[in-house]
Amino acid sequence: MEQYLPIVLLLALVVGFSVASAIGSRLLAPKRRTGAKEGPYESGIVPRYSPAARFPVRFYLVAMIFIIFDIEVVFLYPWAVMYRQLWTFGLAEMAAFAIVVFIAFAYLVSNGALDWGPRQRTGGRPPADLARSTAATVRRVPRPEELIERAGPEPRPLEPDGAPGGAPPRQAQPA
Amino acid sequence: MIQSVLFAGVGHLAQSGSGCLGPNGTSITGLCTSDNSLHMPVAYRSILPMLVLFIGALVLLLVSALLSKRSRPGLYPVLSTAVGLAALVASVWEWYDVGNRGVSTIGGQIFYDRFSVFFGVVVSVTVVLASLVSDSYLRREGLDGVEAYALILLAGTGAVLMAEAAGLIMLFLGLEIMSIALYVMAAYHRRRTESGEAGFKYFILGSFSSAIFLYGVALTYGATGSTRFQDIAGYLARNTLVHDGVLLAGMALLIVGLGFKVAAVPFHFWTPDVYQGSPTPFTGYMAALAKAAGFAGLLRTLTGALSSQQANWRPVIWLIAVLTLLIGSVMAIAQRDLKRMMAYSSISQAGYVLVGLQAGSAAGTAGSLFYLFTYAFVIVGTFAVLGLIQGPGEARNDLGAIRGLARRRPGLAMAMLVFLLAQAGVPLTSGFLAKFYVIEASVQRGQYPLAIIAMLAAAIAAFFYLRIALLMYAGEGEAAGPAPALEPAGGGAEAAGEAAGEAFVADGALTAGLQPVPSLDGATATLTWEPPPEERIAIPPAVAATLAICVVFTIAAGVSSPIIDFARHATAMI
Repeated sequence: MEQYLPIVLLLALVVGFSVASAIGSRLLAPKRRTGAKEGPYESGIVPRYSPAARFPVRFYLVAMIFIIFDIEVVFLYPWAVMYRQLWTFGLAEMAAFAIVVFIAFAYLVSNGALDWGPRQRTGGRPPADLARSTAATVRRVPRPEELIERAGPEPRPLEPDGAPGGAPPRQAQPA
Repeated sequence: MIQSVLFAGVGHLAQSGSGCLGPNGTSITGLCTSDNSLHMPVAYRSILPMLVLFIGALVLLLVSALLSKRSRPGLYPVLSTAVGLAALVASVWEWYDVGNRGVSTIGGQIFYDRFSVFFGVVVSVTVVLASLVSDSYLRREGLDGVEAYALILLAGTGAVLMAEAAGLIMLFLGLEIMSIALYVMAAYHRRRTESGEAGFKYFILGSFSSAIFLYGVALTYGATGSTRFQDIAGYLARNTLVHDGVLLAGMALLIVGLGFKVAAVPFHFWTPDVYQGSPTPFTGYMAALAKAAGFAGLLRTLTGALSSQQANWRPVIWLIAVLTLLIGSVMAIAQRDLKRMMAYSSISQAGYVLVGLQAGSAAGTAGSLFYLFTYAFVIVGTFAVLGLIQGPGEARNDLGAIRGLARRRPGLAMAMLVFLLAQAGVPLTSGFLAKFYVIEASVQRGQYPLAIIAMLAAAIAAFFYLRIALLMYAGEGEAAGPAPALEPAGGGAEAAGEAAGEAFVADGALTAGLQPVPSLDGATATLTWEPPPEERIAIPPAVAATLAICVVFTIAAGVSSPIIDFARHATAMI
C-alpha cells in the first residue's frame, strides 16, 4: 500500500486546494456584475441574435462516418510502423480490414448518407417536393433579420449601446 | 536521407535477426515473440462458420449497395438463408475435421473443439430459420431491406464467437457483437412505439450488464493473472487461494453479466418488455440465439475455466435455477399478452438449462446443449406462428387473437400445438427428452430437491401452455359461452374444445381454413367480442416450410437419439 501514498497525498492536496480556492474567492472577491459578465459567452462578445432554430441533423451522420474512417486510420498507423516485420500477414489482415470498412462506405453512399440537404429518403414515399434543392434549402433557413421580425423570443440586448433597440437597458447591479 | 538511415537500420535488424529490438537493444513492442517476424499462424478453418456468416453479411451489404433500392425484394432473405446453410455445411465439415481432440488456435484465443462446432451448428440453423421466417413479416410491415438480414448474420457471428472464445476477452467481444446487433433488431420496427421502447430498454440494460460482465473479467484477471480459460483453470488447479474474495466477486459478476443475456431470474426484468416490443420473428431469433450464446459462455466459464470452484458456483446457480423455474412459470400464467407469456415461458425454459449447468457434469452439459438445440426450433416456430396470427401492424397479441385458430387454420394450430407441447415437456416431443436429460443429470449428482422443483415448475407451466392450446381448439364453437376459455379451469374449456372439435369434424366439408366463421349462424351472432372483419390468415410458403421443419425436428428429436449423441460428443471441451 505504501506506493499509493503519493497518490493519496496528491488527492488530498487537490481537494484541499479546490475547496480553499472556492471558499477564498467567495469570501475575498468583490462582486460587481456587469452586462458583459452576465452574458452567455465569457468572451464578452454579445450575441446579436438567437441562433437559427433548425439545422440539418445530417451533421450527426457525417460525424459518425468520420469516426469510422478516423478509427481506420488509427489502426493503419501501427501497421505502417511495423509493416516490415508483419509483411504478408499484416498486409493481408490490413487488406481485410480495409475491405470491411470500404464495404461499409459503399453501403453508406448507396443509402445517401453523403447526399447533402435534408431530403426525405426513408420509406417508399417520394420526396415531398422534388423541386427542393440545396439552394432552396439554404434559403429556407431564416436570416437573422427575419428571425428578429418574427414573433419568437426577441433578441435581448445585453449592452445598452450595442444593440438595435428593443428592451430597455438594464442597470448594472451592484454587489 | 532519413529514409536511407531507416532502411539501413531495418536491414541491419533483419540481418542480425532481432527484428523486435531497437538500435539500443531495447524492445520496441511487447508483441514480438519470434525473431524477425510477427507472423501469427491463423487457422482459418477453426473459425470457418464465423467467417462465413460475417463475410455473408458483408456480401449482403455490398449487393444492396450495388443494386438499386428495392429492385430485388426477395433477394436478401434468399442470400441470408444461403449464407446460413453455408455456415451449417462449414460447421458439419468442422465436426468431422476436429474429431474428438480440441486445440486452442489463433494465439490461444479461439478454441477449436466440438463444443464450438456444436454451437456453430445451432447458430447456423437458427440463422436459416430466422431468415426464412422474417421475410414475410418484414414485407407485411413495410420494413424489408438488407439491414434485417445483415443484422441477423452479424448477431450470429457474435454468437459463434462467444462459443469459440478461449478467453474472457474474446467472450466479451462476441457478446458485444451479438448484443449490439440484437439491440438494433429489437428497435427495428420504426413505426411501432413499443419496438423503440424495447430497443431502448434492451440497449440500456444490456450495456449495463456488459459493464458488469467486464468488471467480472477484470476481477477474475486480478485473481488469477490471466483472462484465458486454460490459464485460469491451470492457475486454480496449481494454487489454493487463501483469500479468494476477488475471485468470488469476479465469478459472481460474470454470472450476473451472462445471466442477464440468458434472462435468468433476478436479471430477467427486461425480457417481457423487450420480447413484447420487438418484431415478432426477431423475438424468436433473439430468444434462441442469445440463450444459446449466453449459455455457451456460462458453460465455458463455469464448467470449463472455473470447474475447480464448483463448490462455490453450484449453490449460486442452484438458487438462480430455482428462482428462474418458479418465477418464469408462475408469472407466465398471469399474462394476457401472448408475446409476454412466451417471454416468461422462455425465462422458465432457461431455468431447465440452468439445472443442467448446475449439475456441473458431462451429462448435465450434454443435457443443456440438447436443450438449447431443440429449443431453438421450438421458439423460432412459436414466434413464427404468433407473427402470422397477430395481423398487420402487430394489431393483436392478446390471448383472444389465437382463439379458434384450429377452425381458421388447422395446420397452423397443429404446428403451434406441437411447439406448446414441446415447451410443456410432453412425451414424444423434444421438450420432454430435453427436460428429462437435464433432470436426470441433476439427479445423478444427488440434487433431488432441484429435480423435484424442476418437475413442479413443468407442471405449473403446463397449465398455461395447455390453456393456449385449449383456446386454439375451443373458441367460436356452439358450446362456447361469452368468454369460455378465459376461465382458467381445464374442465369446462376442455368440454368446449371437444364440442368444437366435433362441430369441426361435422362440417369439415366447409373447409374450416377458408371461412373464419363457418356455419353456426345462431352461435356467431352472439360473439360480439370478436372484431367482425376477421381476415383470413395467409401462410407464406417460406414460413410454412420453416414451421414444417421445426415440427418435424421437434417430433423427431423427441423420439430418437441422434441429437443427444451429438450433444454428448460436444461436451468435450478443452
